[in-house]
Amino acid sequence: MKELNIKGTQSTPEISARWDDGVLSMSGDSYPENSFEFFGEVIGWLEEYLQKSEQALHLELRLIYINTSSVKAMMDIFDLCEEAFGRGRAVRVNWYYDPRNERVLDLADEFKEDCSFPFEITEDAQH
Amino acid sequence: MPSTNLTGSDREFLADLQTLLADPAQQDNPMREPLVRLLEQFLGQRERLERLVRISDGYHHLARDQRLSLVEQYDKQVRRLEKLARISDRYQNSLRELSLALRDAALHDPLTGLANRRFLMERLREEADRSKRLKRGFSLAIMNVDHFKHINDEYGHEAGDLVLQAIARAIESQLREYDQCGRWGGEEFLILLPETPLDQAQAVLERIRVAVAEINRVGGEISTRLSASFGLAEHLHEENFSATISRAYQALYAAKAAGRNRVEQA
Repeated sequence: MKELNIKGTQSTPEISARWDDGVLSMSGDSYPENSFEFFGEVIGWLEEYLQKSEQALHLELRLIYINTSSVKAMMDIFDLCEEAFGRGRAVRVNWYYDPRNERVLDLADEFKEDCSFPFEITEDAQH
Repeated sequence: MPSTNLTGSDREFLADLQTLLADPAQQDNPMREPLVRLLEQFLGQRERLERLVRISDGYHHLARDQRLSLVEQYDKQVRRLEKLARISDRYQNSLRELSLALRDAALHDPLTGLANRRFLMERLREEADRSKRLKRGFSLAIMNVDHFKHINDEYGHEAGDLVLQAIARAIESQLREYDQCGRWGGEEFLILLPETPLDQAQAVLERIRVAVAEINRVGGEISTRLSASFGLAEHLHEENFSATISRAYQALYAAKAAGRNRVEQA
């Protein structure tokens, strides 16, 4: 099945989506020039996965600084998660942050606000 | 007869009329035939009217549902937009703070916390411009710690760092509000004294010289006597500030040659 592997750059996050284990991960800064196009691919993958597979979905996030249209894209992604969760799908999100940048914790918390699916914000052991 | 939802007086009137029409005594009444037709037409119209009302109600319902769902969608979008703006503002704030922190880091010496050479260059340029514009002078001094190499060699670089920090605090303690000092490099500091003629500058530097000489213990282990030499120069109108610095250096070499721990004027 379809996999997604987008290499990170200075202004775009690294993204990988693995169909077989249902893991979608994103890490880095997100300032894409055309974020609708950039995230369109991710959202497309997510929609297809939620539609065609029955397996759980797991989002692994290590995003740091992101621009407004990326915030919008993330809200869209969480909306899809919420919908799927509402239909009984197993969905969970792990947002890891660098303890040296605690502001990311507050921001992740802000995203989490309207989500009823499991959404954990934890210090990243990688740092 | 079709059954329609007639109300009160209408139903009574209809019942009376139907009784009348069914009466055998009225069978030959010439008005009977047109009355039957009129009644049929009335009932037909009545039914049409009711259908019309039903259909129209249906549209009303539809429009109402649509309006409610639009209001709901609108509210939801407004909430989303507010959330988006809130999160985005926070990102922008943290970037702004980051950029302020980076600016601060770019303009300060991490060891002593004093302004660094880049910052001093900016201030010197500003001060030289001001002096040109307003015809007000400034003085500047280069201060060099005496025998610093000896401290480093004897106690190690970490001790040397502690000494530099202690000296930075000693300089700061004697500066006036508008004076600016910074680490010019190594064990060298630059002190900028805006709108200060030589004699007043000399007095400030003497105080700093004494404060440095009075440091007798750093980090509990260094008890060597510290001192510093100063080269002082007053900025001359129309002079490039780098020329002022050169003259201050000349004075500093003179202070070193004359036995250190002193202030020499250019």
